[in-house]
Amino acid sequence: MITRVAAIVVAVIGLGIATYLTIVHYAGDAPVCAIAHGCATVQKSDYAKLAGVPVALLGMVGYLGILVSLAKDSESWRNATAFLSIVGLGFSGWLTYVEVVELNAICIWCVGSAICMTLLAGLSITRMLNSPLALAR
Amino acid sequence: MSQSKRELRAERKAAREAKERVEALASARRRRFITLGGIAGVAAIILAVVIGVSASGGSPKPVKPGPAQALLAGIPESDGVLGNPKAKVTVTEYLDPQCPICAQASKDALPHLINTYVKPGKVKLKAATMSFLGPDSVKAAKFAAGAKAQGKQWAFLETFYASQGTENSGYVTDDFLNDIAKAAGVDADKAHEFAGTQAAQDELDTVDSDAQTLGVDSTPTFVLTSNGTSKVIAVGLDDLQAKLDKALS
Repeated sequence: MITRVAAIVVAVIGLGIATYLTIVHYAGDAPVCAIAHGCATVQKSDYAKLAGVPVALLGMVGYLGILVSLAKDSESWRNATAFLSIVGLGFSGWLTYVEVVELNAICIWCVGSAICMTLLAGLSITRMLNSPLALAR
Repeated sequence: MSQSKRELRAERKAAREAKERVEALASARRRRFITLGGIAGVAAIILAVVIGVSASGGSPKPVKPGPAQALLAGIPESDGVLGNPKAKVTVTEYLDPQCPICAQASKDALPHLINTYVKPGKVKLKAATMSFLGPDSVKAAKFAAGAKAQGKQWAFLETFYASQGTENSGYVTDDFLNDIAKAAGVDADKAHEFAGTQAAQDELDTVDSDAQTLGVDSTPTFVLTSNGTSKVIAVGLDDLQAKLDKALS
């Protein structure tokens, strides 16, 4: 139960970050970048879109999907959460690599989202493996 | 006696059921790990495709004239400096040909900078070509030094920006540079020849040394020089035009 609640909280935070970045993308602005100073660099790079779709929008859809999968507490829904979180974690890892190695720029919002995805992957895998086992009678 | 037999049967049944339950739990746990492995496998396949698509986002585009080339028409360039040589203020852009944000800056801020300050003769604009992003940058920067010797450095850089590929993917080949040179009006043979000389390397070393002195460690960085004093006025894209206007007005 506690992992599910924690995952919902983290997913809501992630959804907030992704929504902000999506709004900024479509408004044509640069994200507020108080700590690191690479937000505009990352946002304007070729990697900010995947097949023409802004990755911020993909993140938004991903977090929404995770939230929907957390709405029910059955085995198949727990598996769905784990699947979405693992895909999100992998893609976040790739984007972090791109920021550090290819673009030499760090976007603090993207780092925040990557942390959310890492937490969600950990929580969802823990929840999937540790939830009570129901046996057929 | 019959009582004890019943008890014995009940105990055996309970033990069997307990064993079956333990086995069923272990089996269910195993199934979960297998499911997790399957999920991770499918996720890995999807990620491989997604990353492949993402990585190809920066693949080379067909060479075409940069949008700023029309803007540069009629503006004199001498020794990499664009504009009236007598202008008292110099803006130097530290750039890397491979830097995507330099390309974006050339789209977002360069037209305003040139139209408002360079064309009227208030400011002259200098390119300081760095090459810290990697081997493709070094090759492009040396070739840019060759274009500079022909008074075509800005035209070369603007055309290069419009055709940037994935950083250090090896896309900066001789053929690629030849195509850029052709579109930018640069004599490719002469530029290649210059790129192979010590003078081209010296050019890169001088820019790196100047950047170090000014504390420039990322691109694009804009430096204003006036009355012999230089200072950094803008770094990156954030509020670039406003920062340039504030420093120059």
